[in-house]
Amino acid sequence: MVKGYSDPAMEEKFQDRYFHTTDSNPEFLKDVEKLSRSIPHMCFQCGTCTGSCPSAPRSSYRIRKFVRRAVLGLEKEALTDPDLWLCTTCYSCTDRCPRDIAPTDVIMAMRNLAFKWDIVPRNFLKTIQLIYKTGHGVPNNDVNRAARLKLGLEAEPETTHKYPEYLPGIRKIMDHYHMKEIADRILSEGEH
Amino acid sequence: MHQYAFFLGCIAPNRYPGCEAAAIKTSEKLGIELLPLKGASCCPAPGAFGAVDLNVWYAMAARNIVLAEQMNKDIALICNGCYKSIYEVNERLKHDDELRDGVNEVLAEIDMEYKGSIDVYHLAEIYADKKVCGPDKIRESVVRPLDGTKVAVHYGCHLLKPIKERRFTDAENPMWMEELVAALGAEPVQYRNKMECCGAGGGVRGFDLAHSLDITNEKLTNINEAGADAITEVCPFCQLQFDRGQIEIGEKFGIEWHIPVLHYNELLGLAQGMSPQELALDLHAIDCKPFLDKIL
Repeated sequence: MVKGYSDPAMEEKFQDRYFHTTDSNPEFLKDVEKLSRSIPHMCFQCGTCTGSCPSAPRSSYRIRKFVRRAVLGLEKEALTDPDLWLCTTCYSCTDRCPRDIAPTDVIMAMRNLAFKWDIVPRNFLKTIQLIYKTGHGVPNNDVNRAARLKLGLEAEPETTHKYPEYLPGIRKIMDHYHMKEIADRILSEGEH
Repeated sequence: MHQYAFFLGCIAPNRYPGCEAAAIKTSEKLGIELLPLKGASCCPAPGAFGAVDLNVWYAMAARNIVLAEQMNKDIALICNGCYKSIYEVNERLKHDDELRDGVNEVLAEIDMEYKGSIDVYHLAEIYADKKVCGPDKIRESVVRPLDGTKVAVHYGCHLLKPIKERRFTDAENPMWMEELVAALGAEPVQYRNKMECCGAGGGVRGFDLAHSLDITNEKLTNINEAGADAITEVCPFCQLQFDRGQIEIGEKFGIEWHIPVLHYNELLGLAQGMSPQELALDLHAIDCKPFLDKIL
């Protein structure tokens, strides 16, 4: 239910001005606010965020539009828009928002929700697989090992690379949220 | 000697090992000892990993922090992406009981507990801090001043933003890194839209390379306009984007840039007398020779 006026006459007068659509899901705003730890409902659409955005001038990505979609509960429209993945998370919009919203974190929350719909670019899933396997999103390789030795460093850095006994703990954390399992499934489904 | 647990991340040790070697050696000359943080993993990447499930991001970052808690040392790191994950998760867990309890429930499965007993710093921030180091101490450590060179500073995003969740006070036009560069004898140059993103973050480099390179190209245009001989940054991911990105920009857009890209620790290493070989500058995609010719 949309919050209304306490005066029934006012309520009737403005009733048709509320945004109603069959696509609208009011739970979406709540989910986004919880995950983002931010307050997109405070947005008055000034556009400072889009004006600060390095992705905006070179694409159709409009951060202001995504914040509006959160407020209006336009879940499907937001989560199925590929522009969702063009945010570089530079946080310029967050620093400059006059309403103290963190639009960047709104985008991050929407990406988390999109993942629950199996919507996520492949490169994100591959990073998950690499971290699960090696502990690193960008793992070591032979060229680098040789370079490290020349520098007087050990071939493997003091991380999970040198101490793979720490990997089961990392995998347990990821498995707790079934992250790798879901990533594997989405990637294999995409292959055929 | 100030001691820190050295959180390596991924790209520094696995792509630009010169950054790792330089950080350890240059810090030593400044009275800062970087101790190995055994068993650390990816921070994990705030954009590429946090975008998928923030809960796992919190728990994985917390595991890395706990490793340093067990050493009873504050963390120092040399990557802005790592800074976002490790610093921000540490601060949030310290101040949010509900979040901390949730994370500790997961960490209990691997016999770990987050206590909130340490602090997290970017090494650049430690260098700028007069109580620990400061530009004067850096100037004293220089044996080969970078005189006659112009260097453009790229701060990168996650070091300073969101500013409300950082120790810093200015993310629109900070100047403290310029002071660190000037301490080496180089001339820091100002350029248009200095605080713009490198274009790599948020998983965009992997998702849409041309889009991310277009942002990088804009930055390179502005940096070139200011007549910079080199770019310096404090984030290996920004470094990768500027360095390999210049090659990719050549291939995709037919635009040729040849601006050397050096992590501040590599620049500091050169000024402290380290050789290009000791810094593995040959691993850089863009030849650093034009810059080295000016100082060697």
